[in-house]
Amino acid sequence: MNPQPTLPSRGMLIYFTVCALAMIWPGALVANRIEPLVIGLPFFLFWYVAWVFALFVGLVITYCRDGAQEVDDE
Amino acid sequence: MSDSLLITTITLAYLLIVLAVGLRARHGQSSSLEGYVAGGRHMGLLVLFFILGAEIFSAFAFLGAPGWAYSKGAPALYIIAYLALAVIVWWLIAPYISRLGRRHGFLTQAEFLSACYPTRGNLLGLFIGVVSVLAMIPYLTIQIAGAGLLFEAATSGTIPFWLGSLLACGVVAAYVYASGLQGIGWTNLLQGVMMVCVAWFLGLATADQFFGGVGEMFRELQREAPEYLTMPGANGMGWGAFSTAILVSALGCVMWPHIFMKFYSANSERTLKRVFMLYPLYSYLLVPLLIIGFAGVLLLKDRPLDSPDQVLLTLVVEMADFPAWLIGVALSGALAAAMSTAANLAHTSATILVRDVGQHLPALRDMADDKALRLTRYGVVLIALAAYLLALANPGSLVALLLGAYGIVVQLLPMLLGALFWRRASRSGAFAGLAAGAALTLLFQFGVSTPFGWHAGFCGLVVNAAVFIGVSLATSSASSRSPVQALGPQA
Repeated sequence: MNPQPTLPSRGMLIYFTVCALAMIWPGALVANRIEPLVIGLPFFLFWYVAWVFALFVGLVITYCRDGAQEVDDE
Repeated sequence: MSDSLLITTITLAYLLIVLAVGLRARHGQSSSLEGYVAGGRHMGLLVLFFILGAEIFSAFAFLGAPGWAYSKGAPALYIIAYLALAVIVWWLIAPYISRLGRRHGFLTQAEFLSACYPTRGNLLGLFIGVVSVLAMIPYLTIQIAGAGLLFEAATSGTIPFWLGSLLACGVVAAYVYASGLQGIGWTNLLQGVMMVCVAWFLGLATADQFFGGVGEMFRELQREAPEYLTMPGANGMGWGAFSTAILVSALGCVMWPHIFMKFYSANSERTLKRVFMLYPLYSYLLVPLLIIGFAGVLLLKDRPLDSPDQVLLTLVVEMADFPAWLIGVALSGALAAAMSTAANLAHTSATILVRDVGQHLPALRDMADDKALRLTRYGVVLIALAAYLLALANPGSLVALLLGAYGIVVQLLPMLLGALFWRRASRSGAFAGLAAGAALTLLFQFGVSTPFGWHAGFCGLVVNAAVFIGVSLATSSASSRSPVQALGPQA
């Protein structure tokens, strides 16, 4: 058994940090407007919906990379 | 049949189904404490996903979240943001918790932390146990009171508050008593599906019925009250308050004992990562609920609500033209959110009371597994009863107790991260950080206002981490192992 679980790569950690910064100050400042409405949602609301999806994609990539590296200890 | 009778019948039928599913699940479990508390560490992807979803989405999702959109507007998005970001923290921490739990037989959060930072007489474990229970009982009370309110409003008083909350509380106590985490798992699956369907249906149908669609609704809101659609919202929540609320909620979420302890129950680390990978999508459940809150801004312009939390009920039950059976189904979905969280809280509090607090009583020291299991089950019933009585009494200090106790629980995060990732983390540093962070959080929560309007817990975390790092560097010599690595291969 590996003594330590594998952590996400440096690149993915940077990606997650970007996702976090996009949802708070200062990242969210750029999206603080109503126009354009996207899929019926004001832009500020759509911004959050989109970043949640970006985070999901990042986690999928991290998971797939993990799977290639480690054999589960179960 | 009159409308309120039909609504009552449908909701009672739903409760019966939940009860049946919960009781049936008892056949699947082993009769050990580990089986009862952590599902024998064999929980799979589907059930674990819905447990983590259902326990986070509480009565707040259907009452408080639309209330935020209705009264404040855009700042309500903090809920979506923190739920999604919390997953990053889970991803980093949970595999360690799961692995070490399996290796050393941990079942609670306090056991993990007190193994990393041993104290004489295990005082740290006792402290964490007591504070967590103090945070969870008011939280449970709020769920049970929420269930009572939902019942009373949706049945127009046919089921009064005391009876509605008693029904919800009784059903939860019965299946948690009988089936432990297995019961919670299968009922949370059912309740999770129910609340997702109900939330999306209500959100889209409300926008459609009153405005002809979501886009049309937001266009009208843009004309009538555009301040609701961007920061700082209708009553001016600053970027500092908004951002620090997101950060502290995302970081602190993992420290809720009922979430932390679920990491022990996964059948493998791979399962945990699959759950987390899908988890951000669960936060989309809030989009339709926020839409209802935004609809309320326009629809209730002429008669503002005293309590913003009533916005969903007012729109769905009083104003929209939904058939009675649909209101019954909607009520069931909202009840699902309250009850699924309540089940996890009662189960976790009882476990903590027996494992972390009970072992300090001479009569309960080194008790046998079957005795601990029996006591934990009685604990579930006792705690549910206590929360029900508190819901009836409704003491005004309940929310203050919840905020205060949870504020302290969040301050355990730096010492947890230190134990996992930092070789120089020292015990004196951890305790000094905890004391400083907790004191500062309580001071900001109940005394003075925070600098720049930042979240009290966030200020506490910053100071906590700084003191922890400073004292650790000053007291400990460079070690080659972090506290977790020093635990060794076996307990």
